Amino acid sequence: MTALVASRRRPFLQRLAQASEPWLYTAPALILIVAVMLVPLVLGVSYAFRDIKLLNPFSGGFVGLKHFEALATDQAFRTALVNTLWWTGASVLIQFVFGLILALLLNQPFRGRAVAQALCFLPWAVPSFLTGLDWAWLFNPVIGPLPHWFVALGLMETPQSILSDPDLAMWGPIAANVWWGIPFFAITLLAALQAIPKDLYEAAAIDGAGPIERFRSITLPFLAPTIAITILLRTVWISNFADLIVVMTNGGPADRTQIVASYIFTTAFRRLDFGYASAIALVLLVLLLTYSMLIVLLRQSFLKRG
Amino acid sequence: MAAIDITSARKSYGSVDVLHGVDLAIGDGEFVVLVGPSGCGKSTLLRMIAGLEEITSGEIAIGGRRVNDLPPKDRDIAMVFQSYALYPHMTVAENMSYSLKLRRTPKERITAAITVAAAKLGLDQLTERRPKALSGGQRQRVAMGRAIVRNPKAFLFDEPLSNLDARLREQMRVEIKKLHKDLGATSIYVTHDQIEAMTLADRIVAMNGGVVQQVGSPLDLYDRPANLFVAGFIGSPAMNMIPAIYRLVDGTGVAAVAGGHHLPLAGPFSIPDGTAVVIGVRPEHVTVSPPGSGGLRTAVDLVEPTGFGSILHLGPFGQPVKAFTLDRALGRNGAAVDVTFDPAQLHVFTEADGRRMDPAA
Ligand SMILES: Nc1ncnc2c1ncn2[C@@H]1O[C@H](COP(=O)(O)OP(=O)(O)OP(=O)(O)O)[C@@H](O)[C@H]1O
Ligand SMILES: [Mg+2]
Repeated sequence: MTALVASRRRPFLQRLAQASEPWLYTAPALILIVAVMLVPLVLGVSYAFRDIKLLNPFSGGFVGLKHFEALATDQAFRTALVNTLWWTGASVLIQFVFGLILALLLNQPFRGRAVAQALCFLPWAVPSFLTGLDWAWLFNPVIGPLPHWFVALGLMETPQSILSDPDLAMWGPIAANVWWGIPFFAITLLAALQAIPKDLYEAAAIDGAGPIERFRSITLPFLAPTIAITILLRTVWISNFADLIVVMTNGGPADRTQIVASYIFTTAFRRLDFGYASAIALVLLVLLLTYSMLIVLLRQSFLKRG
Repeated sequence: MAAIDITSARKSYGSVDVLHGVDLAIGDGEFVVLVGPSGCGKSTLLRMIAGLEEITSGEIAIGGRRVNDLPPKDRDIAMVFQSYALYPHMTVAENMSYSLKLRRTPKERITAAITVAAAKLGLDQLTERRPKALSGGQRQRVAMGRAIVRNPKAFLFDEPLSNLDARLREQMRVEIKKLHKDLGATSIYVTHDQIEAMTLADRIVAMNGGVVQQVGSPLDLYDRPANLFVAGFIGSPAMNMIPAIYRLVDGTGVAAVAGGHHLPLAGPFSIPDGTAVVIGVRPEHVTVSPPGSGGLRTAVDLVEPTGFGSILHLGPFGQPVKAFTLDRALGRNGAAVDVTFDPAQLHVFTEADGRRMDPAA
């Protein structure tokens, strides 16, 4: 009783201290997040509505939706959008398929498995710019072997770089990206595979399921949540990933490999038009957020069923 | 349903021999229990029968057909795992019908089989649930259900009850026994719970270190253990083992134990006078009576009341000996009691190789 009365009469400062306690505890993390994430984000978003050209000292004024109006009629942006879909879709799909196959192989017991696992994860450790250079050289008809192999296989008439062929150029960066990104899928899927209890496979084998049926009715349902989340991550990542394209083709020939991310890069750092680049980035952000929400919802429904 | 014949089955992992040649003939409809201490190879043998583990050498035949090289799905056996191994993303009904679906059984037949099995196991209300929404006992039933809907040639159980609490275990034990009476299917059941072994088995196979020690009916193993291992493994509280020297006195055998005492045996044995032996006697065969009734006078060191009776820790001839008595009045710490041994209930094992000796006719 006395305690209750005392607490009611607590001085204002003490109550304030108590109310702010959780905020004070989380303050370091909150301040960090605001400083390194929110501030740049807000700044970047604000650029999209301002006229910011590095070479023009009089720029910086508020221009409203002018950038977005320009974007609506920008043919290069439209091409980049289609190329982004193409680049992201093909890269993610092929990476996923090969990553899954690799994970399934590495999940089998065999001699030297530990070494094989380590080797397969090596590409992940190669810097993306180096990867881009490497592959650009591999495709180079003067110093690279690939064009000669294509000729030998009858796929090409004379050795030439596919990177300069408008119809095939996109496959160059995609090939490099696939090589570079397979380990990501392999690692995550292998971890998920190893978490599946072995006795389920044994029970299924006794129940009469062959290898394909076991894969379909046990492996896939167990992997589904991991597949959804890794594909989501990789899609967002790859659609933002301009390094390989900038290094290998620089968007060319004739904008055939220009994706939105590399277009942003070119606009900002070549044309030095930060305002317009920010507007493009904002559109990309909205598109990716929408996509992520869809995948997260899909995953939720998977988990609820599982 | 089918007989299972195992002929000199061996299993090695690399250079490690796990099973050293097992011979076992299991009759059609028989309920055989494999018992033995942890690591003796029970699961390995069971998994070899199921086809989950390769047979290093020897032969396993189910229903007269050699199955060494058949994959599990072609052996037509069902297995209940210790972990149950239920498919977590399938409902109870889907779990039970999975094998039937793979066999392309018509829908109506599947539904009928599930209904019957679910009713038999008391799962009628749960068929639409997923395993994670079930209790341990219910999961265990689903695992059983998954096995019985298939109507397989044989059932294999690997410690199916060891994850349940004591009461549920007792209940499921009875249900398994009933189920076996109903279905009459050949069953091989692995456990290291000897009550389960004793109550369920038509025949028990006692194993140790990858070698079959004795095969026989539960009472056979209990009353006439073939060697020291079986004698010590079967029965709780465990059999008393008393080191002794075999002596031939006046044409009959006696066991000379520590302290110069002689325990008369059931007759002369065909072993030389002076052989080192081990005398085994079950606690319930150590007769304890109030002081003055005749016998060896000794003191009660410790009493373990079990409710049903009491286990008395005694020390006649300076050897720890446990006795089981229904007479609560005798069970007082420090009380003096008289102990007698019935010669017919003394098991004689040679110390050299632990083999059972029977009186010469
Ligand atoms: N893959 C393996 N490689 C090497 N040794 C193994 C392997 N699997 C099992 N063993 C060995 O085989 C022996 C028998 O194992 P098993 O699982 O059959 O024992 P168990 O009788 O079922 O024991 P428990 O009662 O503990 O289940 C053990 O000593 C074990 O260490
Ligand atoms: Mg085992």
